[in-house]
Amino acid sequence: MENAETLTQAIIEMEEEKAMALTRRLLEEGTAPMAIFKAYQNALMAVGKRFEEGVYFIPELILSGNMMNEAMEIIKPYLTEEKSRDDQERIGKIIIATIEGDIHDIGKNIVATLLELNGFEVKDLGVDIAKDQIISEARELDADVIGLSGLLTLSFDPMRELVEALKAEGLRDKIKVIIGGGQMDEQVRDYVGADAFVVDAVSGIKLCKAWVD
Amino acid sequence: MTDIKDHVSPSQLQADFLEKWVSGEGIDFIDDNASESYQYRAGLIKDAIQLKKSPDRVPVVPLCTFAPVNLYGYTGKEAMYDPHILGKVSLDYCKEYDADAAGAAPMVMYGPALETLDYRLYKWPGHGVKEELYYQFVEKEYMKAEEYDHFIADPSDYWFRVWLPRTHGALGPLAELPPIYGTMELPMAGPWLCALGAPPIQEAYKALLEAGRQCFEWINVLGPYLAQITQAGFPFYAGGATKAPFDVLGDSFRGTVQLMMDLYRRPEKVLAAVERLVPLMVDSGAAGAYANNNPLVFIPLHKGADGFMSNEQFEKFYWPTLKGVMVGLIEKGCVPICFVEGGYNQRLEYLTEVPEGQCMFIFDKTDMARARKILGGKSCIGGGFPVSLIVTGNVQQVQDETKRLLDSAAGDGGYVLSIGCAMDEAKEDTLKAFIRTGKEYGKY
Repeated sequence: MENAETLTQAIIEMEEEKAMALTRRLLEEGTAPMAIFKAYQNALMAVGKRFEEGVYFIPELILSGNMMNEAMEIIKPYLTEEKSRDDQERIGKIIIATIEGDIHDIGKNIVATLLELNGFEVKDLGVDIAKDQIISEARELDADVIGLSGLLTLSFDPMRELVEALKAEGLRDKIKVIIGGGQMDEQVRDYVGADAFVVDAVSGIKLCKAWVD
Repeated sequence: MTDIKDHVSPSQLQADFLEKWVSGEGIDFIDDNASESYQYRAGLIKDAIQLKKSPDRVPVVPLCTFAPVNLYGYTGKEAMYDPHILGKVSLDYCKEYDADAAGAAPMVMYGPALETLDYRLYKWPGHGVKEELYYQFVEKEYMKAEEYDHFIADPSDYWFRVWLPRTHGALGPLAELPPIYGTMELPMAGPWLCALGAPPIQEAYKALLEAGRQCFEWINVLGPYLAQITQAGFPFYAGGATKAPFDVLGDSFRGTVQLMMDLYRRPEKVLAAVERLVPLMVDSGAAGAYANNNPLVFIPLHKGADGFMSNEQFEKFYWPTLKGVMVGLIEKGCVPICFVEGGYNQRLEYLTEVPEGQCMFIFDKTDMARARKILGGKSCIGGGFPVSLIVTGNVQQVQDETKRLLDSAAGDGGYVLSIGCAMDEAKEDTLKAFIRTGKEYGKY
């Protein structure tokens, strides 16, 4: 019998066509939209686990995230009285952005998607964002974490300036700062004054979850 | 090169090309000292590539993009808009910092020509990024999924009539051109020529010619500075450049996000496309090497790094065609130099499959002790020094790390001291400390 569990398995195994067809069929047959949503959530958790185990990599993170987004479009018309995805309880709030001067966003986008799937309220400000805007958005959202992305060495100084501005505004103790990107290491973390650096998406999500726990 | 190609083995062909490069043949050196310095420096690099045991010392070759510009107080925009500035800082940098090879200044390119073309693949200083910064790639889905067949059947036609119009705004009208193949017969030549006469297409060609004129003027100003660099005794660390087929597809055509999903959605198309690119990328790299009389061909590697894909995916989609390009370059007498961005800790064993003593791998985040262990005696390795220390560290830290790196990676030859990243920026004291320590401590 095909059910939500079969759907979860199809997603985990990257069987995209099967997963989409099954999503439609289950909804037509009257499965609750939230059960479908849950099936995707479970699948993406399992995908994240396989990533940590070194079985899955970027292709699977991207494809599973994409399946989830496609499925949300299919589910939308069925979400009348059911709780929508946005009504879910959130475990923490995070502002994420590529820092001023840098326009790279692939890593940042993957992290933002995974954070949402893991229950965070995520405000993604985009690329090349000035520190003042990031700080004011963090203040407005009452963010727990600021996630800064940067691929190039030119991102180091603007990140450091942001942390200094956070201190000057008395916000540093309230907000964790995590930096991510190809050239990040302990040396850069120390220079920037961030709480942590990461070079892959899943370890970043793990850290953020531990912080808000 | 072509006249001798049919008579000698690839390894001999490469040895001859390297020998010719090291000799400095055809360079009008300023004095005997410069000539000797050139041969010494290029000789160190040649010895490293050929895994010569215990040469004099390790070659010290930090890779740069905009770092010389930034070290002399100029902005990225000034370098991209004034070839005198670019030329002067490149020459001054070589003389003052005294590394063993010079960077390819023309890779900084000329802003006015990019403006003429309405070039959309990058943003550059004063054109989408701040004037003091450096150019950056704008990754998008420039090729649609349904266009794979066109790309595979005829990459040049696809490149010219579909991709170029999309990525170069001023060349947009070229999308209306019919294929060139009608030119084979008088009665069939009309459609192509008539289309060429249409005003928008005329404008597109005018823009292309204008960009060419601008670049020609630019290189004629920059060229004499570059000549002075070699005449003063510094070889260039790249004669040509090319890319791994998977990165071509992922960076400039499909985009990372789409290509990674293609591995599941249309794997056979991805494989056909990357295979189709192999001879094209070999020719592209070798052409630069021949034109510059320098066998070193740079191959920056992007999307096959640890974390990007599994070993199984690497083995299927990335490595065979990269290896194909490397072997193809060697067969043409060139030396493939892979600039291995990110980490390759899971992939090092694959790299042993290329011909021994004929390639170089410059690493970024890879564990250099392991790289030495696995590739030692097989291929020249280099890099592994964190750029973060050059940009944010102090002299003592740089000295310590340089020594540590040399201890773990230099072995008894086959190593080039380099930084794990082509530097957009650097600091004078740390970079000088890196080069000085490398020369002093890197003696065999």
